[in-house]
Amino acid sequence: MSYLNDLISHRHLILSFAQRDIRAKYKQTIFGVAWAVFQPFSLMVAFTFVFSRFAQVDSEGIPYPIFTYSALIFWTCFASSVSQGTIAMTANANLVRKIYFPRETLLLAVMISALIDLAIAAVVFVAMLLYYGMGLTWASLWVIPLLVLQILVTLAVICVTSAVHVHFRDIGHVLPLALLLWMLATPVAYPLSSVPASTRSLYMLNPMAGVIEGYRQVLLHGSPPDPGYLASAFAAALLGVILAYLFFKRAERTFADVI
Amino acid sequence: MSEIAIRFDGVSKKYRLHHGWYISVRDELARLARRVLLRDPGEPHEFWALQDVSFEIKRGETIGLIGANGAGKSTILKILSRVTTPTRGSFAVAGKVGALIEVGAGFHPDLTGRENVYLNGAIMGMRKREIDAKFDQIVAFAEVEAFIDTPLKYYSSGMMVRLGFAVAAHIEPEILLVDEVLAVGDAAFQAKCLNKIAELKEQDKTIVLVSHVMPSILQHSTRVLWIDHGRVQAFGDLDDTAERYLRTVQAQAAAGSAEEAAIRPTPDSPIHITTVTLRDADGRPAHSIAYGQPALVEIGYVVAGPIDDPVVAVTFHDARGYPLGSVTSRLDGMRLDMSAGHGAVRLVLSPVLFTRGSYGLAVAIHDSRIQRYLDLKPRAVSFMVDGPSVASREVTGHVIYPHRWESIREKVD
Repeated sequence: MSYLNDLISHRHLILSFAQRDIRAKYKQTIFGVAWAVFQPFSLMVAFTFVFSRFAQVDSEGIPYPIFTYSALIFWTCFASSVSQGTIAMTANANLVRKIYFPRETLLLAVMISALIDLAIAAVVFVAMLLYYGMGLTWASLWVIPLLVLQILVTLAVICVTSAVHVHFRDIGHVLPLALLLWMLATPVAYPLSSVPASTRSLYMLNPMAGVIEGYRQVLLHGSPPDPGYLASAFAAALLGVILAYLFFKRAERTFADVI
Repeated sequence: MSEIAIRFDGVSKKYRLHHGWYISVRDELARLARRVLLRDPGEPHEFWALQDVSFEIKRGETIGLIGANGAGKSTILKILSRVTTPTRGSFAVAGKVGALIEVGAGFHPDLTGRENVYLNGAIMGMRKREIDAKFDQIVAFAEVEAFIDTPLKYYSSGMMVRLGFAVAAHIEPEILLVDEVLAVGDAAFQAKCLNKIAELKEQDKTIVLVSHVMPSILQHSTRVLWIDHGRVQAFGDLDDTAERYLRTVQAQAAAGSAEEAAIRPTPDSPIHITTVTLRDADGRPAHSIAYGQPALVEIGYVVAGPIDDPVVAVTFHDARGYPLGSVTSRLDGMRLDMSAGHGAVRLVLSPVLFTRGSYGLAVAIHDSRIQRYLDLKPRAVSFMVDGPSVASREVTGHVIYPHRWESIREKVD
């Protein structure tokens, strides 16, 4: 509890760090915030060629570009917050070594800055909906709990990886590969329905699989997610984030000594 | 007023010399192999930066934290500012802590001065409203008004340091930790910083000043905490503790120079210094001289070969060996008597004008053009001076120059 009190008293710091990250990210760039759209958009173009034209992946009757883009914006948010979050302590080593503040503020700032990029990338998603003449239903509001679930999963992951990265920089080398494999194990470029039923239960142990498929269901198919799955995923994510946070706070004590 | 602001209770801090288990495992294996094969225990892989440190600081006190490099001062500051935690023992800090440790650590080069003030303020625990209220004061203090909307990477290092100190000085903590940051910046800015510290002191803030030996900082302290090899060596009033510390530093320096002295600058020198003695006004050998009293320095020498008009130089230095001033026989028109095989000269100091503290003097004999050392005793004599102390705040530095004051009645234009 004292951890949370300390964190709440530093809440303005989270915003300051997020502001710093966003400002610094787009300063001295020509295209500025357009870069937030660039990554998911260019992946969408590439995926459309590779998976729709060449490999002819089934997209459940939905135009493939918007089928994959609806997953890519959320996946990009997840992947960039994991890769930025993992190095958040070491990238701010100068601060961590010299000044006290609850270190998780750096992780939350990374999360916020990734969510803002997501919001910018979502503008293009709305434009694509209009282009394909597709509408949103009330089921779209399920995006909010799904996004909360995604945030919990992200925080649980980066609480562990950032603390480990302080001691072992190896994780920085493993991460790009791990994220690529993770994306392949998540229905970003293909629908969940194409996963064989025999391996489905194993496949669904990946928390991002349910989340990404959920976004597509509620945004493009207009059908609400399975409440049983959502509830159990929430419970698991909450437990995960609590354990990861306690691990992080325990490791935090010696960050300044070893960073 | 007797509330405790800071309490350390048996605090110890261990650092590992290597990080990461794979390095440790490798080293442990190597050590084991050494121990078995060579019966050599090897170096331990941990280091105790602090050992069983206990002290209490009351609210409103200003403490000077002194000790040699690596004594553990920075570790104490890191624990106080919660950057790290003790390995053993407990500590309590009552109130918000502000630290002037490496100012500007939180600056980002791509952000403007304005953005950095807000960011740095937030890192140090200030709310946006508080920064808004003090923003103009901070910018004025740092003297960077014209550049406040310029990215920090275009600032000079002096501007960056000033801005960092300005933010830190305005966070209004109950406990302020100051590391030797005051050594940076020009004299005018240093004076500004010292005034800010004095102002905080008047507001009954608790202040911990860290210093190797910095008289300007020490004279603000009410008590001095001396840390040596990770332990509390002494914790007491300024004069007594600082003086004992300085004497130890001097003794260590002297021990080092005893070895130096064994190596003569010129082995086949035609003249050697044999004795250097400090005497008080009554001619008795003395180690302590009162301010304002005369003192005598007697220098004995032997002549071993032909030599043309050598010059004797006596240099006074402070406890750390920093030269304060010197006199030479040439400048004063004094010639050494070379007729016998040996001789002696006497330097009369009338009177001694050093402030209270610990001093040393070096004696050198040069050739007639003062280009070569014929002999040198770098730490010939160490002595104490009893007199006006910097603790009184009436004096600063080491010397009270001979002077008098006069009142001017006629108009000066």
